[in-house]
Amino acid sequence: MHISFLIHNAYGIGGTIRTTYNLARTLGEQHDVEIVSVFRHREAPVFDPGPNVRLSHLVDLRKKSPTYEGADPDHARPARVFPRSEGRYKQYSRLTDRRIAEHLRRLDADVVVGTRPGLNVHIAREARRGPVRVGQEHLTLGTHSKALKRALRGAYPRLDAVTTVTRADAETYRGQMRLPGVRLEAVPNSVPEPCLEPADGTGKWVVAAGRLAPVKRYDLLIRAFEKVIAVRPDWRLRIYGGGAQHAKLRDLIDHLGLYNHIYLMGPANPLDPEWAKGSIAAVTSSMESFGMTIVEAMRCGLPVVATDCPHGPAEIIDNGVDGRLVPNGDVDGIAAALLDLINDDELRQRMGQEALKRSARFDPSRVAGRYESLFTDLLARGKVRGSVHRARGALLSGAFATKDVGRTMLGRMRAA
Amino acid sequence: MNEMDIPDTAAAPPRAHCVADSAGGLTFQVSDWVRPGPAAAPGEAGPVDALVLVRRGADPGAEDEVRLPLAPAEDGRPQAALPSTVPLPEGRWDVHVAHGDAEPRRVAPGLNDLRSLVDRRPGPSTSPLSVRIPYPTKHGNLSLRSWRRAPHAEAGEIRAEGGELAVRGRLYRVGSPAEWLAGAVVEARCRRDASRVWTGKPVLEDDTEFSFTLPLAELAEGWKGGEEAWDLWLRPAGPDAAPARLARILDDVPDKKEIFSYPAQPVAAPHGPAKAGPYYTTNNDLAVRVEDA
Repeated sequence: MHISFLIHNAYGIGGTIRTTYNLARTLGEQHDVEIVSVFRHREAPVFDPGPNVRLSHLVDLRKKSPTYEGADPDHARPARVFPRSEGRYKQYSRLTDRRIAEHLRRLDADVVVGTRPGLNVHIAREARRGPVRVGQEHLTLGTHSKALKRALRGAYPRLDAVTTVTRADAETYRGQMRLPGVRLEAVPNSVPEPCLEPADGTGKWVVAAGRLAPVKRYDLLIRAFEKVIAVRPDWRLRIYGGGAQHAKLRDLIDHLGLYNHIYLMGPANPLDPEWAKGSIAAVTSSMESFGMTIVEAMRCGLPVVATDCPHGPAEIIDNGVDGRLVPNGDVDGIAAALLDLINDDELRQRMGQEALKRSARFDPSRVAGRYESLFTDLLARGKVRGSVHRARGALLSGAFATKDVGRTMLGRMRAA
Repeated sequence: MNEMDIPDTAAAPPRAHCVADSAGGLTFQVSDWVRPGPAAAPGEAGPVDALVLVRRGADPGAEDEVRLPLAPAEDGRPQAALPSTVPLPEGRWDVHVAHGDAEPRRVAPGLNDLRSLVDRRPGPSTSPLSVRIPYPTKHGNLSLRSWRRAPHAEAGEIRAEGGELAVRGRLYRVGSPAEWLAGAVVEARCRRDASRVWTGKPVLEDDTEFSFTLPLAELAEGWKGGEEAWDLWLRPAGPDAAPARLARILDDVPDKKEIFSYPAQPVAAPHGPAKAGPYYTTNNDLAVRVEDA
């Protein structure tokens, strides 16, 4: 299969970029995979796409590059195809409209995958007949504005499939969008196996990690931990991450006199060695599109105490088996669940072992396998449906026939 | 292909994963290193591979460079060991790899597995305490922080309330910590004026643990505005015995200053309203700051 990802900027740092690389890299072991980045602002990508994945860009924003295009007058004109209601709208332009359209018009892949709503709209409207069109939702439908939902409702019926990262969000799509004939599938994000030994569960540390943003509700965790150390003053908490809430959280810790027990550690990358120093992980967000940190901690052998917030945690944690779910926003519940695990070494160790075992379902190989069968189904369905409705079957074989030509054109574009 | 793509690939630095043991030793596993040529086999003449530690800010000289033999481990990757017994003077050490006489190359950080350093409790001994914490620099290189202390007073819990600091700590690397502590005094030494020293008595909590209370108003008596720092020491009885600096170094956190942070308290000083609170210096030594409220 030739699979082509379309991404906002493959050269930056972020959850979508990381998870796309994980997926592309793994699919690349079996298939012909490329990542096409709308923008390129630096020489080398931060993450490694692996040896089998081709990386290219459509608009060069490297200031020192001889092919710098940031000064193109069309790049100063507002985009028409990329939806105005999309969060990244301001970065898109008449130039990106044109480049993305050209790319999609001649793309000869079997599958084209969009990685954000605006790019999914481009794919729905502009991809040539032939490739299976898949739109990924990395956030949730619920967090999009009404205007963006309207735009997606108009465009998404022309996709073959929409993927969400949780079943809960797939249900929301089913309930709120009318997408007849569009396959809706929940495929979780993947997390690779850590390159170090899992935690042994003996250290008296609880670990949390993520941006210090209001949605993460670290204030709840700090208040819950005050109750924990009233009972178990020998346990302490490390919170990794940077962000706008730092000063507020610092004040809260000082105000409650918890500065000998709770530490704001600052950002850490990679995080795996930090998880491995803990024995329990805590995630007390009010909302998690997926819950990447939960999976990361589990893959390091930690049982996770998490709030049962929309959307991800309940689909990752099996409550009482490999971690604990507590009601969203419940300080006493968080404290009680932490104490259950702190006070019972045997329970904590057992849940940590289960977490390690059960989180293997998020391994890139398994997640890539699910995408692979989705793509295979869609390709087969496309042939059947296409022969009746849109004559896609014929075009699909046409696409195979013109593959080399397309490759050469793409190659020429890169050389330019 | 854009020619600007080339230097990036060529410059991809060697990387070292670091594993710490609880005795203060480190093991480095090097990957992604393209050697200028083949290394000589053991016993043969020819260029050998080495992990080179260079103390930052030091003049070029033998004592500020440590070369550790780099040899293939079981998995074939080059590995070097820095045992706690190799003395590494205090400071920041930049990590390089070198092939024979070729210019050493700076190493990028990989995974630092420092779990055995968390809550470290060294055993009884009178030889200097070795602490080495690897960390990624802000420029994306691998460096080490090193401490070497005998005796060492490790600061623990600090309560900052009621106009006082209540400090607990543990004494390491003296023959009999309890005896040493029984004759010792706590000193706060004013950094700006060596003649101003506050002294107090430590309370023995167990064989190695001590505590003391420092009334902040007493440090602020001679304060004349601005920022004044006081360093904390334990000074033993007897003119020849070495004092112990209070510091926090027995864990995996290379820079304590921003992470181990404590509230400042208002202090009524003769000069005017002030505030005072504890902090860790850039070397992780414990100090008290008196400043304008």
